Amino acid sequence: MEQTHKAIQNSIREKARELLSSKKVDVVVGFGEGTLPLRATPIFIRSPEEVDRLIWNSYCENNLATYLYKLSQFKVGLVVKGCDARSVVALSREKRFKPDQLYLIGVPCQRMVDRRKVKKAVKGEILRVSEQRDEITVEGEDFKKVLKRDDFLYPSCQVCIHRTPAKADVLVADPVEESSLVEIHPEIEAFEKKSPEERWRYFEKEAGRCIRCYACREACPMCYCTECFVDSSNPEWIDKGLSPSDIEFFHIVRAYHQSGRCSGCGACERACPMEIKLTYLTQKLNQDVKELFGFETGVDPDAPPPLSTYDIEDRQEFIK
Amino acid sequence: MLRTLELRFLKDEDAQAFHFVPGQFCELSLLGKGEAPFGIASSPTENGSVKFTINKAGVVTTALHHIEEGSEVGIRGPLGNGYPIDLFQGKNVLVIGGGFAFTTLRSLVTYFLHPENRNKVKDITVIYGARTPGLLLYKEELAEWAKRSDIKLVVTVDQGDKDWKGKVGLVPNVLEEAAPAAENTYAVICGPPIMIKFTFPKLMALRFPNERIYTSLEKRMKCGIGKCGRCNIGHLYVCKDGPVFSYAQLEKLPKDY
Amino acid sequence: MKLKLDKKNFIPFLQSLMAEYDLFAPVQLADGVSVYKKIDQAEKVDLSISNAQKPAKEIFFPQSETMFRYEKAGKESRITSTEDIKRNRILLGARPCDIQAFSLIDQVFAGKDYTDTYYVNKRKATTIIGMGCDHPLSTCFCTSLNGGPFHREGSDLFLIDLGESYLVELLTEKGMAFQKNKFFEEANEKEISLAKGIEGKATEKVKASIPVNGIEKKLDQMMESPFWDRVQKKCLGCRVCTYLCPTCHCFDIMDEARTNKGRRVRNWDSCLSSLYSQETSGHNPRPTNRERTRQRLTHKFNYFPKNFDRIACVGCGRCTLYCPAHFDIRQTIKEIQEGGDK
Repeated sequence: MEQTHKAIQNSIREKARELLSSKKVDVVVGFGEGTLPLRATPIFIRSPEEVDRLIWNSYCENNLATYLYKLSQFKVGLVVKGCDARSVVALSREKRFKPDQLYLIGVPCQRMVDRRKVKKAVKGEILRVSEQRDEITVEGEDFKKVLKRDDFLYPSCQVCIHRTPAKADVLVADPVEESSLVEIHPEIEAFEKKSPEERWRYFEKEAGRCIRCYACREACPMCYCTECFVDSSNPEWIDKGLSPSDIEFFHIVRAYHQSGRCSGCGACERACPMEIKLTYLTQKLNQDVKELFGFETGVDPDAPPPLSTYDIEDRQEFIK
Repeated sequence: MLRTLELRFLKDEDAQAFHFVPGQFCELSLLGKGEAPFGIASSPTENGSVKFTINKAGVVTTALHHIEEGSEVGIRGPLGNGYPIDLFQGKNVLVIGGGFAFTTLRSLVTYFLHPENRNKVKDITVIYGARTPGLLLYKEELAEWAKRSDIKLVVTVDQGDKDWKGKVGLVPNVLEEAAPAAENTYAVICGPPIMIKFTFPKLMALRFPNERIYTSLEKRMKCGIGKCGRCNIGHLYVCKDGPVFSYAQLEKLPKDY
Repeated sequence: MKLKLDKKNFIPFLQSLMAEYDLFAPVQLADGVSVYKKIDQAEKVDLSISNAQKPAKEIFFPQSETMFRYEKAGKESRITSTEDIKRNRILLGARPCDIQAFSLIDQVFAGKDYTDTYYVNKRKATTIIGMGCDHPLSTCFCTSLNGGPFHREGSDLFLIDLGESYLVELLTEKGMAFQKNKFFEEANEKEISLAKGIEGKATEKVKASIPVNGIEKKLDQMMESPFWDRVQKKCLGCRVCTYLCPTCHCFDIMDEARTNKGRRVRNWDSCLSSLYSQETSGHNPRPTNRERTRQRLTHKFNYFPKNFDRIACVGCGRCTLYCPAHFDIRQTIKEIQEGGDK
């Protein structure tokens, strides 16, 4: 794994150097070294001399498309995984940037490591991490443990079948074989097996931890409204406190606002400080959109967004 | 849209305890709608009631525009530091106001025009401008002041209408024309940012030093007592250490307003 | 006065407290996620975590708090105050960093001008049982900010985990009131020396010293520095740091109305929200993330020290641990000290 990551890292640096030297882009947005184990951090490179700060590893978990709203006056070279690229396609369908404003540096993704799951597999603080082939070795003050990488991937990564960015301007490695690590979509299956009461109890328990910080919203590239419905005071849809019904309203409506737009990247769950499960809602809604309209977010750049397009063939049997 | 509210305290002891200085503000509450800060437009010399001029803009102000006579309004105050009237003693006062920002200036001018206070300051010059005649506040007071010989009043509009017989001209230009002497004079200027932007250099050209130019700042406020954190400019709070600041003070603070 | 509490007696001890007091302690809401909550079942108390996500300040300054209730009848209204505390309280298991933050917030809310009665009433009614950190994290830097993993200031009682028991120190008058508690026994020499060893080891561990001296002066020169354009780039403006920070204390006030009844409530707010400083005229003095991140950092390391002679940070490390974009406050402090030139 380290070999592949190093090769990708060098490729990204080369490409960034080329783009910045030729002034094809004003800034390259990628990942840099974190100050803690199991973490990488988004960085913004403006000169070819700095490209060696760009890295690639199993912790490049952010969806960098979420920064595009801040960079609308620049030509941007964006490092994208499969899911990030699909968000970019969805954003372009919503006309969020000009066609030649972006240069996508596509990374066929090896799936990202779930740092929280790794943390919970050991007792004590992790001070060093290394990867060899398909194993992760974590070390602390008084422990050293070897973990199987495949057992510690983000749930969104385990089910992903679009790991190679489809519409990238360049791919920094060979496309990966698209297959999901697990047989079915476990989150959606588990949810569908529940009765309506059980579904509500599960949702209520998860959403009950919410502290209204809106990290999920800010981490999401598709949440770009200048005034979010939760901040509106006239009309005031919900209060700003911790009333359970207000919190539940926020989560449900945000999930619905993502139908057919969410790429399933999981950035929302990773941002949440209270570790609330969120993707099960959007993934279920995406599955519904797929069944009803044959549409999958960000896969076909020419497909019109189903919830803002009318087609004479649209299903109507629910209209009674 | 503007509405001037006249409020009377329900309890006598509250009215007795309410002492304020021109330039201070109050937080007015409508239960169920919320609370918002408003500069006190009446002068401490006008006993019996407290006046506020409300600009209809959001939830609370819209509600304040719709309340009927006899309605209850909550009040917290007086808050803020007020104009430094002690410093003005024995000096000339130049008051420059624009648009809706004239509310606390009305309080200041009315205070000094009161017979008990008129001798505390020397010359009073007031320059008040609005975009159109319809947007001028306190027309009755302005008419009264125009008749007096102990105050020089210039009212101007950016654009007149068919009935307007007064001056037409932008406040910065009117100031240049009136050209009051800066020596021994304190200037108080309140208005929209664009007016301040062009009037301030004229004051500089007239040699007003920063220590003798005062303004009342606008900032989003909530608690009004320096606890909720939001109205800070640097380490000072507009609600508690202001809203009145001299330009000498503002020079030392970050441009966070 | 050094006593001990055998862990075998922990649950009955808690139950004895709950009989007389409202007990607040860390509770696990999910694997790896804890908050300080009012305890209804002693078994739920979890002192094994290093620190709860949400800071202990919410015991005194709740995230959402009713300030008063009102009821309207015609043109009149009646207001009911919610300032009083019904029962005395105990805060158990707070770490020294969170406890340090209380004294910092006291300077704002319990200051000489305008006292925040909601906060002060809770502070007065609470006995604080602090707990030493025997395993501080690498992200902790409390020692750089006049704190430490076994800093006792602010605690009425102080617990040190010895493995099979807790060493209990009674530090203040409020603490001494627990002298006769039937679950406390006298600690022996071995236990006292074991505690000393744990304390020494932990304090040694938080040796990473973050240079905060003179940071206020440095920031005086940096208001218009391009440093702020650079530092805000990766910040999402997501507010997690401000919501989990033990020293942040900004709030918003609003009315919640249901026909003719309602309440005035205050909720935590964050200077990183775009609406935080939005004025009715439409003008926003902090229109972009640049001004807002500048406000947050400059307030903590420059404005607050100007008013209260101390930095508004206790080195708990939560902002670094939970930031989705992996902002590291220790790195930012170092960059500011270097003039922000890099």
